[in-house]
Amino acid sequence: MKTRPAIVAVGRTKFGEHYGKEPEQLIEEAWLAASQECNIERKDLEACYLSDCFLPITNKLGLEEGFLSELTELHVPMEVTRSVSAALLAACHAIQAGIYSTVLVGGIEKMTDRWDKIRDDLMLLEDTWSYYAGGTPETNHELMLRAYIKKYGITGEKLEKLNVALAQVAVKNHAHATKNEYAQFQRKITIEQVLGARKAVNKPLGLYDFAPISDGASALILTSEEQAEKMTPQPIYVLGISSATDYLNFPGRDDLTHFAAARLAMKNSLKMAGITPMDIPVVEVYDQSTVMEMVSLEDLGFCEPGTAWRNIRGDCQDGSGYYEINGKPIFVNMNGGLKADGNPLGATGGAQIFELFKQLRGEAGARQVKIDQVSPRFGCALEFEGFGTKAYVTILGRE
Amino acid sequence: MSSEPIERRVSYLGDRLKASRCKICGKEYFEVRDYCGNCGRKSFGKMESIDLFYEKGKLELCTLVREPTNKFTKLGNYIYGIISFHNGQIRVPGRLTDQIIGDNEEIDFSSLEGREVVPRFRRRYSVGKSDVVPTISLAFTFADEYYPHQEYKTVQPTKEYDVPGIVGYGVYVSRFRIKEGNIERAVPFIDEDAITAAVEAGKLALIHSGVDSALVGKIYVGSESNPYAVKPIASKVAQVLKLGEEEGDVQGVDAVDTEFACKAASSMFKDAAALVNYPNLGIKYAMVIGADNSQAAPRGCPGGELDLFVGYGAAAFIFGKHDVIAEIEGWYSCTSDTPDFWRRDGEPFPMHGGRFTGDPAYFKHVKKATSKLMEKLNLKASDINYFVTHQPNPQFPVRVAKELGFKEEQYAASLQINKFGNTYSGCSPIGLASILDVAKPDELIIITSYGSGAGSDAYLLRTTSQIVDKRQRQKLTVRAQADNPFVKYVDYPTYRRLKLGL
Repeated sequence: MKTRPAIVAVGRTKFGEHYGKEPEQLIEEAWLAASQECNIERKDLEACYLSDCFLPITNKLGLEEGFLSELTELHVPMEVTRSVSAALLAACHAIQAGIYSTVLVGGIEKMTDRWDKIRDDLMLLEDTWSYYAGGTPETNHELMLRAYIKKYGITGEKLEKLNVALAQVAVKNHAHATKNEYAQFQRKITIEQVLGARKAVNKPLGLYDFAPISDGASALILTSEEQAEKMTPQPIYVLGISSATDYLNFPGRDDLTHFAAARLAMKNSLKMAGITPMDIPVVEVYDQSTVMEMVSLEDLGFCEPGTAWRNIRGDCQDGSGYYEINGKPIFVNMNGGLKADGNPLGATGGAQIFELFKQLRGEAGARQVKIDQVSPRFGCALEFEGFGTKAYVTILGRE
Repeated sequence: MSSEPIERRVSYLGDRLKASRCKICGKEYFEVRDYCGNCGRKSFGKMESIDLFYEKGKLELCTLVREPTNKFTKLGNYIYGIISFHNGQIRVPGRLTDQIIGDNEEIDFSSLEGREVVPRFRRRYSVGKSDVVPTISLAFTFADEYYPHQEYKTVQPTKEYDVPGIVGYGVYVSRFRIKEGNIERAVPFIDEDAITAAVEAGKLALIHSGVDSALVGKIYVGSESNPYAVKPIASKVAQVLKLGEEEGDVQGVDAVDTEFACKAASSMFKDAAALVNYPNLGIKYAMVIGADNSQAAPRGCPGGELDLFVGYGAAAFIFGKHDVIAEIEGWYSCTSDTPDFWRRDGEPFPMHGGRFTGDPAYFKHVKKATSKLMEKLNLKASDINYFVTHQPNPQFPVRVAKELGFKEEQYAASLQINKFGNTYSGCSPIGLASILDVAKPDELIIITSYGSGAGSDAYLLRTTSQIVDKRQRQKLTVRAQADNPFVKYVDYPTYRRLKLGL
C-alpha cells in the first residue's frame, strides 16, 4: 500500500448475552474503550464507518446512523456496512485517498433480542432457496464436510482422525477463550464433550462445532500513517486489505469443499502486503464451525487443500494448541474464535482485529504468542459475510 | 400481514423448478436468467427456459436436520442436501420428503448419497392460517422407492373418435397408510394436502395420456378439503402443469374449482366431454381432477365416526376426442336437497346425519341414477362388465351394487375403500381408474358417483382398443400404489398429526 492506514486503538465489549443493554450502549462502551486507549475525543473523528449485519431486523432500528448522531452529537459522515471488515476496507480507502485522517470503525450486533427467530433470519440472509428447501444455519457446514470427506476419500481410521481433529478445533478455541476476559465462553471443553454432542443427535457436527448467537460491539480508531505516530508509540498498520465475492447459492458453486472468495481475497491482500503466508504466525479465521476453520486455513494458503486437519498440534485442552505447517507453528483464533469468543455478526470482525492488534503489540497477556521471544510481526484476519459469499482478508503488521 | 407478491415469485419459480440454458455455451442455471454469466451481453435474448419438473436428479450430498428453522419444525427430522441435475450442470438445495425419521435413528449418509431422486410438488413450510399456502418442488423422494421417475413425452394422436371420452388418467395416493383391522387407508405426509394431490394426479394423467399440456383448455378441480375458502386449486394445477398455451407467466386455460361433496369431480365429466365436443372452439382437451385430504373429526367427537374411513388421494382424467381409451356413451344425473353430510364454512370437520346417510341419501341417489341410466340406454345389469360407485365405507358399495343386480365380479375390482379409505371427491374416480387399469377393449363400465347434499351422476363408458396401448406408459397404477413394498404404516396419533398438515 502507498500510504498505510494505521490502527491506533481498539476497544470492545464482552461478547455474549447483554439483555439489559440497548444496542447503542454496546457501541458506546466499545468506543469509550478505544478512545481512552489513544486519548482521542469525539470531535477528532472526521467520519464513522460502522457495521451491523441485521440490526434493522433484530432490533427494528432504522437508520442507525441517526441514533448514533443523537447519542454522540456528531454530524460527521457515517456509513453502515454489514461487517467490521467491510467498514475497515471502506475506511482504509478513504484514508488512502486522503479524504479523512482519523475515523472510527466499529461494529455492533444484538442477536439475542430476537432469540426465537434468529436462525430463520440467519438462513434467509445466507441463501433464500436453501431456506425454502429446509436448510438451517448448520446444514451448509455439514454438507461442506460431506463434500470434503468425499473429495479427499477420507474413510475408516482417517475419518475418525478427521472427526477428532475437528473436535480439537473447538477444544483449542475454548481453551484460548479462558484467557480472554471478553469471551462469551470462558470455560474449557473436552474432546469427549464435542464428540458426545454429535453422537447425541446422530449428526456429523454437534452443538460444540458451531459458534453461538451473541451480542456485542467492537471499535477501532483508524488514522493515517503520519497522524498515527503522534497518537500512539506503536501503531499497527494495515498492510493489505481486500475482499472477494461468491454466489449466494452454495449448492451452485463450482467447488463445494472450499471458499473461493477467501482464496481470492487472501491472494490480493498478500500481494498488497508484499509477504507470504509463511510470514504470518497469528491468524484469526471465521470459525462459524470447526469445518469452516479447517477449510479456511487451506483457502488462506497455510495448508495444502485436504490437509489442514492433519496439522493440528499441542494439547488443545490446556490452551497450547496450534497448527504446524512445514515445521512452523501457526496460532489460530487466539481470542477463542467465533466458537468461544462469540459471534455478534456485525462486531465479530472488530474482535478479530482487536486480537491481532493486541498480539502484534505484545499486549495479549496470558494468550500472547511469541516467536523467538518476540511478539509476531504480522497477523491476518479472515471474515465472511454469509456462508463464504463475501470474504474479507486483512493483514496487519507492526512496521 | 401477507406476502403475496413474493409468494407468487417464489412459487412461480420453485413449483416448476424453472431454470435457464444459454443457447450459446450451453451453461445451465437454476432460476430464470436473462443472460449467461459466461457469455455476457451477447447472450441477451439467447437464453432458453427449461425446467426440472419432470426430471430425475441425484442426491449428491446430504445431512440430517434435527433442529429446523421455525417454519419447518412440524416436519420433524429430515434429510437435507444438494441435488444435481443434468450431470451436475445444475445443483439445487432440497429436502427429502415422505420419510419419518426417529430421534434415535442413525443415518448412513454415504448410503443415500449418489441415489436418484424425483422432485415432488409439496407444501414448502408452515405459515399462519390466514396466509397464502406456500409450495415448492425442492422436496424429493428416491426414484427407486414408492414413486418412480417417469418421463413426460407428448404423443401425436393417431385417431379421432365421433364421441368424446377419456384419453388418459392418473391416480395419486400418498406413501403412508394406517391399518386398522382389514382396512388400510392412505395418509398424506405432513407436507401434502388436496392441492399437492391434485397436481400429482394431473401430472400422472399427462404422462399417461401423452397429451401436450398446452392443448388442455379447461381444468376443473373438485374438492371438499381445499385449504382455501376462496382461491382455486385449479389455478395452481394450471400453472404448475402449464395447462393451455403459455403466454409470459399466464396460462391460456380456464381453471375452476367445483364443490358438491364427493361428486364434485365426477359431476364435471360430462361438462368436460361436452366442451371438447363443441365445434370450432379449439379446446382439444379438458382435465377433471377429484382430490381430497378427506376430513373427519377425531374419534369420540361429533362427526368422529367418519374418522374410521377417511383417506387421502386424487384422480385426474383428461377428456378429448383423440386417442380415446373409453368413450362416454351416456349419463344421467339426479339431485335432491338432502343434508346427510355437510361442513359449515370455517368449521374444520364435516358433520353427518348418522343413519339418514344410508337409505334416504346414498342408496336412493345411487340407485336412481344408475337404474335411470340403464333404462335410458336400454341396458340390463348383466350387460355391464364393471360397476363402480362411491365408497364411503366397505359395506355401502357392495349393498347398492347387489340391490342394482350386479354380481361380485362386476363390482369387486373397483373397491379401493379397503386400500385407500374414502378419498371423498377422489373416491369413485379412483374406483374408475382401477377398472381402466385392467379393462379390455370394448367393455362397458358404469360409474355412479354420490355426493352428499345430495346427488349422483351415472356414466356409461365403453373402452376402446387404445386402452391397452396406453397402459404401458403408466408405472404408478392404482395397483402399484395399493400393493407397494415401500408403503409406510403409521399409528393413529401420527395419522392425525400428518393429516393436519404443516
